[in-house]
Amino acid sequence: MISRLITLILLGCLPVFAAAQDATAILEQMMAKWNRVKDYAVQVNIKSEIPLIKSFPVKATIYFKQKDQFKMLSKGIAILPKQNFNELPKFLRDKNSYTALITGTEVVQTQKTTVLTVLPTDDSGDLVLLKLWIDPKTDLLLKSQSTTRSNGTISAIYEYGSQTTFGLPDKMIFTVEVKKFKIPKGLATDINRTSSSDTGKPSPKNGKITITFADYQLNKGIKDEVFRN
Amino acid sequence: MSDKIIEVQQLAKRFGSFEAVKDVNFTVYKGDVFGFLGPNGAGKSTSIRCLLSLIKPDRGEIKIYGQTLAANRSQILARTGSIIEKPDFYKYLSAYQNLAIFSRISGATASAKEIYQMLDFVGLAGREKDKVAGFSHGMKQRLGIAQTLLHKPDLIILDEPTTGLDPQGIIDIRNLILRLRDEQGKTVVLSSHLLAEMELIANRMVIINKGKTVVEGEVSKLLSSDDLVVQLEIDKVESAKNYLKNHLPQLEIIDSTATHLELAITKSMLPELNKSLVQQGFSIYAIESKRKLEDYFIKMLKADVVE
Amino acid sequence: MLWNSVYNEFIKITAKPRSYLGLLAITVLVGVILFALKVDGQSMIAFVTSSFEQTLSFQGTLLNGNLVAFIVLQMLIIHIPLLVALVTGDLVSGEAASGTIRMLLTKPISRTQLLLSKFIAGAVYTLCLIIWLGILAVIVGKVLFGNGDLMVLNSDGLVILQEQDVNWRYAGGFAVAFLALLTVSTLSICLSCFSNNSIGPIVVTMAIIILFTIIGTLDVKLFDAIRPYLFTTHMASWRSFFEEPLPLKEIIKSLIILLAHQVILIGLALYHFNKKDITT
Repeated sequence: MISRLITLILLGCLPVFAAAQDATAILEQMMAKWNRVKDYAVQVNIKSEIPLIKSFPVKATIYFKQKDQFKMLSKGIAILPKQNFNELPKFLRDKNSYTALITGTEVVQTQKTTVLTVLPTDDSGDLVLLKLWIDPKTDLLLKSQSTTRSNGTISAIYEYGSQTTFGLPDKMIFTVEVKKFKIPKGLATDINRTSSSDTGKPSPKNGKITITFADYQLNKGIKDEVFRN
Repeated sequence: MSDKIIEVQQLAKRFGSFEAVKDVNFTVYKGDVFGFLGPNGAGKSTSIRCLLSLIKPDRGEIKIYGQTLAANRSQILARTGSIIEKPDFYKYLSAYQNLAIFSRISGATASAKEIYQMLDFVGLAGREKDKVAGFSHGMKQRLGIAQTLLHKPDLIILDEPTTGLDPQGIIDIRNLILRLRDEQGKTVVLSSHLLAEMELIANRMVIINKGKTVVEGEVSKLLSSDDLVVQLEIDKVESAKNYLKNHLPQLEIIDSTATHLELAITKSMLPELNKSLVQQGFSIYAIESKRKLEDYFIKMLKADVVE
Repeated sequence: MLWNSVYNEFIKITAKPRSYLGLLAITVLVGVILFALKVDGQSMIAFVTSSFEQTLSFQGTLLNGNLVAFIVLQMLIIHIPLLVALVTGDLVSGEAASGTIRMLLTKPISRTQLLLSKFIAGAVYTLCLIIWLGILAVIVGKVLFGNGDLMVLNSDGLVILQEQDVNWRYAGGFAVAFLALLTVSTLSICLSCFSNNSIGPIVVTMAIIILFTIIGTLDVKLFDAIRPYLFTTHMASWRSFFEEPLPLKEIIKSLIILLAHQVILIGLALYHFNKKDITT
């Protein structure tokens, strides 16, 4: 009786184990592409459309070197999501820090994708939940969504073109939650204000940051000095 | 008759409820040293300021060089130099810089050489670069004369130019005025309280009181009446007084001291006075004509009050 | 004779120790601000961006010469009017107090020309102050902090202006700031015509500026009608050059109002000065 019960339970868990094992495999296949890149330098164009912030597109150069050396050099001021795009690969490389499960399929950018839910093992960490939409045919990450305690939810859409082989996107579009920003009054008093300030318009809740990548220089060898301040 | 340099007719000016000038009239001719007299508060300063367009009169006409002041201010002032009350300068600038500043807006900018020459002329040679803050009153007065003359004006208006000067300074100003008239043919309008000085240098004058002209004319003619005031230096003053009261009662004894006797007397009586005192055994050490203009001035003011 | 008189006014202004107080004060104040920013500028920026940094990350050199110059302008533009009035408020009344106005007005130069020369000299002095401020804030700021994009915090949000897009904005901003300070200069000279003492016009000018600034900042409906026409409302118009898009209509409106103030004040001063009896 007891043995039948145990067998039933084990059979019931099989799909879960199988799903976890499939999710891990999918992740590994996706990351295998990334791991082919020892280092890269790429020219980026960063365009931010954030409520209450007016800015122009900024050109920058991004440097990356395995395992997690990352540097962005921009002449101007660029606005990026708090969790920048190097955080995701860095997190996923540490397999012990999360559990991944396949939680469905969804069409993203006309491609059928496998939806992975990644749960951090550390309950006290900032990251609460990560969802990944991965194209199983190409092993490319097409969409991600991370939820953190401090920053809310940040979504990203990934578009590929020139570096499909290495899983490096040509474009990333981030959507960030924008809480009502508070302007420090003392610094921003408009003494040339000629009427009362309240316009009554509701403020949007999301902002968008579009990063376009061009002219990848892969595996050319980047010195460590580049990453030092 | 000489050319008329200044013609003032029916000048009037009120400050609030106070009428400073009611009806002032006078004429200044070319080459005059014209005395402008009056007690304190008579309206002298106001009248002079009207001449220089510092104050706008309420009524009346002012013509200078035959031109109406109101319509020809710039041309007139280009030919006119003045000191009103004490000359004020920029204390933080040097004597040279002060003269240069005033010269630039006087119609004909003086050259550096001319400025140095003028400073030398007024006795300030060697002080060109000194700040005016360190100047004495007399030096500032000299500098004031320099800025008045620098643009070679035809008419000079001086309001109390000897105020605060020592005796030598007063003499210097007197001599300067006479030189300006005699050597350079300038016309000078002079307001002063020093009647003795006025009597020495002015050839024409006007007396004003309470904003009105009391009398105007040539000094020699105005003061040429037979009436004199003489001061005798005499022994036995009291005896002389008694004698005169008894024997020459028509003489007015004005004042006496231990050694001097002051009398109002007609000119024609002077020889008789002298003769009779000597015949009576009095010793007369000196006979001096005294305070003519001063007495005339006071007499005119009293007459104006009565009228 | 007007330009001779202007030259005279320059000589007088440059000879007075008071004239250098303004330049010295600006030097010291800007020096203090630059030092403070060099030591602790990052925390000031963190204060500004803290609200945004919950979700976003700012990459690049935020604390640069352009931002430093903006901060300097922002802090000092309220105080510069006093430094202007300190000299220009004395231009007529100081001469009345010392008696030199009497000497000047017995010269052939017309009262209109004399007064206009003082306005011109006052304007040049004001220009010198603003140029000096610009040199210290922008040029010295860039030497010490380098160049970069300018991040400006307005009441309706953050604006990030590109480095190559900043210099002309500073030129425009300083030009408008000069016009605003010129209004202060004109006001103080106008008041100077009504007084025979040195200090009165300076104090009254500052009192007017403070009063109008308070009216301008009080969020009271009663003042809404007059606020657009107060010159102090437009004294901060230089900031409009750092908005995107450039509010050209607002800037032109500010220029018109500031110019109108100057025309009225100069007209009033000329009228009174020409009528005035000089009794000092």
